[in-house]
Amino acid sequence: MGAGSQSISMPNEEKAGVLQGTLDLMVLQTLATLGPLHGYAIAARIEQVSSGAIQLNMGTLYPGLLRLEQRGFIRAKWDKTENNRRARFYSITATGRRQLDVEKAGWTRMAGIMKSLLGEEA
Amino acid sequence: MKQKLREWGMRLWGTFKSRDAEIEEELRFHLDMAEQDALLQGDSHREVYLRQGGLTQAAESVRDQHAFPWLSDFFRDTRHSVRLLARSPLFAAAAIGSLALGIGANTAIYSLFYTIMLRQLPVAHPEQLVEFLFSGDPGQVRDDGYWGWDRYEYIRDHNHVLSALTGMSFDNLASLRVDGSDPQTVIEESVLGNYFEVLGLKPAIGRLTTRDDVPASGEAEAAVVSWSWWNSRFDRDPSILGKRIFVNDAPKTIVGVAPRGYFGPRVGSRTDVWIPYQRDTVRLLARIKPGVTRQLAQAEMRVLLQSLVEQKAARNHTKVKPIQLDVEPAGAGFARVREQYGKALMLLLGVVGFLLLLACINMASLLLARSAGRQRELAVRVGLGAGRGRLVRQMLTEAVMLSAAGTLVGMLLAYAGTGILVRIMASGRAFEHIDVEVHPDVQLLAVTAGIGMFTAFLFGLAPAMYAFRATPANALQQSARGGDTWLWRLFGKGLVAAQVALSIFLVTGTAVFLAHLSRLRNFELGFRSDHVLLLTLDPDHSSYKSKPLAAPYQRLLERLQSTPGVRSASITACTPLQGCGTGSRFLNAEGFVEQPEQRLRPAVYFVTPRYFETLGIPLLAGRDFSPRDAGHPRVVIISNAVARHYFPGQNPVGRNITVVHDTRPLPFGDDQPYEIIGVAADVKPFELRDAPFPTMYFDMFQVNHVFDQFQLRTSSDPTAIAETARRLVREVLPDMPVKRVTTLEAQVDSNIVPERLIATLSEFFGGLGAVLAGIGIYGLLAFSVARRTNEIGVRMALGATAGDVSRLVLRDTMGLLCAGLIAGSFLVMLGRPLAASLIQDLKPESAGPLALAAGAIAAVALLASYVPVRRASRLDPMSALRHE
Repeated sequence: MGAGSQSISMPNEEKAGVLQGTLDLMVLQTLATLGPLHGYAIAARIEQVSSGAIQLNMGTLYPGLLRLEQRGFIRAKWDKTENNRRARFYSITATGRRQLDVEKAGWTRMAGIMKSLLGEEA
Repeated sequence: MKQKLREWGMRLWGTFKSRDAEIEEELRFHLDMAEQDALLQGDSHREVYLRQGGLTQAAESVRDQHAFPWLSDFFRDTRHSVRLLARSPLFAAAAIGSLALGIGANTAIYSLFYTIMLRQLPVAHPEQLVEFLFSGDPGQVRDDGYWGWDRYEYIRDHNHVLSALTGMSFDNLASLRVDGSDPQTVIEESVLGNYFEVLGLKPAIGRLTTRDDVPASGEAEAAVVSWSWWNSRFDRDPSILGKRIFVNDAPKTIVGVAPRGYFGPRVGSRTDVWIPYQRDTVRLLARIKPGVTRQLAQAEMRVLLQSLVEQKAARNHTKVKPIQLDVEPAGAGFARVREQYGKALMLLLGVVGFLLLLACINMASLLLARSAGRQRELAVRVGLGAGRGRLVRQMLTEAVMLSAAGTLVGMLLAYAGTGILVRIMASGRAFEHIDVEVHPDVQLLAVTAGIGMFTAFLFGLAPAMYAFRATPANALQQSARGGDTWLWRLFGKGLVAAQVALSIFLVTGTAVFLAHLSRLRNFELGFRSDHVLLLTLDPDHSSYKSKPLAAPYQRLLERLQSTPGVRSASITACTPLQGCGTGSRFLNAEGFVEQPEQRLRPAVYFVTPRYFETLGIPLLAGRDFSPRDAGHPRVVIISNAVARHYFPGQNPVGRNITVVHDTRPLPFGDDQPYEIIGVAADVKPFELRDAPFPTMYFDMFQVNHVFDQFQLRTSSDPTAIAETARRLVREVLPDMPVKRVTTLEAQVDSNIVPERLIATLSEFFGGLGAVLAGIGIYGLLAFSVARRTNEIGVRMALGATAGDVSRLVLRDTMGLLCAGLIAGSFLVMLGRPLAASLIQDLKPESAGPLALAAGAIAAVALLASYVPVRRASRLDPMSALRHE
């Protein structure tokens, strides 16, 4: 397991702050790209994209999804999977897309700053 | 920010609407999918669970995000508390009941206090209003006197401290007649032209009177009526404007209705009609200039008034006394009622404060006993991993619930309780009626709820701490008295001892006040107020107007006297303590040379034969008037004080006096001597709190000065005779209206409203205190018997008899009682001078009330211990030993 997965798997209380924002961004980006997904699919996609570095457990993922839902960035609805099982599918809302753009810009800027900072010091 | 708010809203909503099933289904699906993938990849179940975390924990995390955990905890605690309380309804009722009584009493008394002492008049800038009071002797109610017109004008024109000056005079018994209906007794307020303008009032309808309404002298024709009179008499019909009414038989026209909340400047007495006037005596109400202090205003007013008095004294060549004039704030209305009731109300606030303290202690000891009973349950929960903070919160929730319920019930009680207050207050003299309203006043509600919550936290925390004083292991073993440190036992007993002490204090106070009241009512009046009916006729509104009344009244008197149930009957102008008089005169006694400064000026009373018998005034020497006196040599009866002054050490009967007629001669006036035929005991004719007033009694038939108030001494309830008396009046004097029917007792009572208020309420509160102490003692003993069941079983198995066990438990009671008694006596000693300073003429020196209170509380304590003692003495040793 990578360092990322360790931090992400930490108990609820300790992963507050930066990582909470990161999780929101990852989920919103995933839903914006792939359309409606259920919780497991979101986690699987993030794990796949990060080549297994980020493994979200249920205790982190679902409260996060619920929070995004409560804030109106995503909406959820019960539907059938291809195997005909009932699952809760999440999709991004218009507000969510706007939020994604804002956070993406912020993140990119921050990454740029960090990069040049680290580059200068190196 | 908006999103954050949305999240909170959703979570709040989620607190009330759980979706546990959905959450679980979603998580279950996740786990199934993870397991499928794991199987495909060849991982074991264990690895899946390790990676994903437990379903229960995850569900808990989601639930925490779904709702506000602390809020749902609170609701769960509340439900839990309600269930627990429902399981012990006696405990809940005792706790809620005692708190409700405490809070109800406080709310009611505070409402009264607020109404009388604090409520501002609904006028513009009430804080600027002042009134002028003349102080007499210290401790007396200050006189708010009427001013002569000249003085008023002088003050108005020469002061530099007042921005406005207005005035009024009151007629408390004005007759108001609307065309074609019977006259009604109302309170009329004659006001200066600028009155409404100075107060800044706006009419409900029509207009308020101004300077332009006032003629050069006397009364205006325009009248303003009160909103409540308009409402009750005209049902708020706007056509009232321009209506003709007769006030004291003078025609007036209604030009407007005063604003709804305004009833005149006197606390508790409601003006019904305002009529502008000028050039007559006037009571002043002023506005102080902004920036001028009351002290400054007072200094200038004193100087102005002093110079005025000195000018007059110089003209008349007399000496002047220095004038003591106080300028007092009048924003809450005239001070008279406030001064009259202020001390009584302070005392009552103190009493109900103690009562609330008692209720709080009661609640604390009940909660303590209860948490001791739940010790085992709590220990189990701590053992199972419940957080202590969480458990304390739960116990506090219970206390808060109890106090919330107590506060609520207390408010309801307060509404009911003010009914009693209103009845007591309404029995005052007509112009001193006080309407007490408990309205949902924000301030009052806040104070009350605050007290309730404070109680809950203070007394909910102690039991919670008690519950955790022992380690779970110890508590689980719960040996017979395990874990109770001496400190906690002392605390529990201390609470009950404090209750006993407080209730002894309250009951002693009650006994003192009741004794004081009964002395005021009966022993120091000089007459007997019971069983006397008073009946006032109104010859001015009959065909007997300005006709001789002596003969018809004598006929009526004879008829009344021969009525069954009437022992004797008489007539006079004013009965004692009615608040009226028929003047006073100097006299010259035969053979007595008087120093001018020691001259007596006795009150003059006109009575019929048998007056003394009817009022129960003892004749100390000589005889009563008799019908034979009419037309014979003039006779007089003097009071004992007059006899002592003019005939010290002699028998005045048979001696002569002459009445000195000054400027205003009485209608029987000339300088012929009156022969003293009797000496009557002293009475208090005017004010209950004054010393007996020297009095001369004349035979109204002999001096032919006839008045209209009949007194009947009855052998049973005087009000039962009232109808018969009215009928006899109709038979003898067909068109004579009866103006007023009351009893002498009611008349006396109307003079002692503050004292009755204190006595009646403290009677109630004292009883309440005793009940609360009883509940407390019962709770503690029942609890201690339950805890000692094991020990008692052992004792019985070793040969203790039922009597031994009863003594064991009773010893506890006795100990508590003694400790409480000592502390209570101490409190009483401390409280004595305080009570004496607040109530005039209170004589709290005797030990009787304290003994009475101690006896009463001891009886209550023994009664309260009866059930626990019985339970202890009837324990079956075998089952008691098995009791764990």
